[in-house]
Amino acid sequence: MKTIIRPILSIASKETKHIRRDPFTLAVALLLPLLFVWFFGFVINLDYHNIPLLVRDNDQSRSSRELLMQAGAAGYFDVVAVHSPAEAEKALQKNSMKGLLIIPPGFHDNLTRGDVARAQLLVDGSDNTLAALMNMYMQGISAAAQQALAVPRASEPNMIRTRYLFNPELNSRWFIVPALSTVIIGFLAIILTALTVAREWENGSMELLLSTPVRPFEIVLGKLLPYFALSFFDALLVFALALIVFHIPFMGSFLLYLLACTLFIIGSLALGLLISVLTRQQQAAIQFGFAIGLLPSFMFSGFIFPIENMPLFFRWFTGLFPQRWFLSLSRSLFLTEAGFKELAGPFAALFIFMFVMVALAVKKFKTDVEP
Amino acid sequence: MSVSVRTENLCKNFNHVPALSGVSAAFDAGQVHGIIGPNGAGKTTLLRLIKGLLHPTSGDISFTLSGRACPAEQARRQTGYFPQEPSLYPDLSVWEHLEFFRDLYNVPAVEFQRRAQHLLNATEMIPFKDRPAGKLSGGMYKKLGLMCVLLNRPALLLLDEPTIGVDPVSRQELWDLVYQVAGPEMTVILTTSYMDEAERCAKVHILQDGRLLESGAPGQIMQERRVKHFADLFV
Repeated sequence: MKTIIRPILSIASKETKHIRRDPFTLAVALLLPLLFVWFFGFVINLDYHNIPLLVRDNDQSRSSRELLMQAGAAGYFDVVAVHSPAEAEKALQKNSMKGLLIIPPGFHDNLTRGDVARAQLLVDGSDNTLAALMNMYMQGISAAAQQALAVPRASEPNMIRTRYLFNPELNSRWFIVPALSTVIIGFLAIILTALTVAREWENGSMELLLSTPVRPFEIVLGKLLPYFALSFFDALLVFALALIVFHIPFMGSFLLYLLACTLFIIGSLALGLLISVLTRQQQAAIQFGFAIGLLPSFMFSGFIFPIENMPLFFRWFTGLFPQRWFLSLSRSLFLTEAGFKELAGPFAALFIFMFVMVALAVKKFKTDVEP
Repeated sequence: MSVSVRTENLCKNFNHVPALSGVSAAFDAGQVHGIIGPNGAGKTTLLRLIKGLLHPTSGDISFTLSGRACPAEQARRQTGYFPQEPSLYPDLSVWEHLEFFRDLYNVPAVEFQRRAQHLLNATEMIPFKDRPAGKLSGGMYKKLGLMCVLLNRPALLLLDEPTIGVDPVSRQELWDLVYQVAGPEMTVILTTSYMDEAERCAKVHILQDGRLLESGAPGQIMQERRVKHFADLFV
């Protein structure tokens, strides 16, 4: 028995030493449960609240006020009054608002007479899950308003007529495929470059490279260029597949889409390089690449969980990840006719991200072999 | 153009553990200098400090270029460094390596053709110029590494154990290459574990536990220590 236990204990003891001396494994084992509980507890919330909703009340009556009061009181919507159709259209294209409720003149009179009284709900259909929920919430609110007003029952009891903008049939592919480019390009770009510098450090060629007159920014840019070409080709491939295979309409400007891809790819490649420069080890670079490239693409980009539904801290936190901004641009450019003016915010965020990542990768690039 | 190097009280610690302690040595221009000593003596650290790949904890390194004091940066641009494990890119061929280093050193195209042909001839590597580095023998691999460094015609050449792990024939060929390219002006500083190589140097510097024990011409040191062979110094 002793001859069996001794080697087992010896191996266990050796592994314990490895774990104690490897801060990354230790950090993963100890911090991951905390991180997951925190994340899944706070961020993933399937009860949607405070959905930004524009309202245009053209009736200004007791009934319209009751309907708006019910909409605000239910907690599902953050109601913001809008004064012109142009203002509403701009807000919807900027993606800062998710819907527009228009109450027509004569709404109250029709309602009290028992005639058909209908408000129109225009919903941003580019997020089909949220759009369907908004419609469901609004039907409940209209029923509650009707009950509170004690109005006669109309032949057509439904007070709300919903129209979905940008994706009239709420086709889920229209929602998923434009967002997939974020996951594919973002992850691929980070992983491609996360290995390049680490590989050179591990196999020793970096020492030879550093002994030449080549400067850090030359190495960084030289490493970025071919991977940029490769990633850009991937971006075009995903774009072509979306159009040809999945028949996703592309409503926006193709040039803006290319600009968004360029900023996102360069930023992500530079982030991969930064990981590689800092870790100097291929295995660690891959682990970080997965953690920073893949997880935020699914969790913090709005791909699955709407950003608007996250607690305030996480709404800000997601802003640190370029995936959030590229995804927003990709969906807007595919499904809406938004121009640069409406999309200036996400473009600015991507530009800042790209600039900071390239600057950090150059700055942190070591020109010596100091441990 | 010739480069000389002088270190003054040079110290280097790694995590408070001294690797070099107060090394003051002169490496005169146009000579072949050998740094010898047991493993862990600080030979590689000294070469890396001279090249600027490590930063001294204290002490100074000064350079002269053609007899005049010059900034370290300027001298280091004229310095070729051949690491102990010169890792090349296994999928790049011999010729692709030369082209890559041509661009890093900014060697003009015509000059590159001349130098590359000369190096390939001297190393008898012409038949292998399209072979990937990963498929070269150990000796040829080292030769390729050395060719990449020599392509720049450095005024100061730092070689860290260039012949370690190489068969005797390849060792001789590597030395022939160095001497053929070196010329009268190139200063060569090398570390070696082979005493016959050390004996061929104009001057040797003996390091032990990070301290410089002795510097001088091998003949002079042997005479002072009254030994017949250089290797007997370490017996």
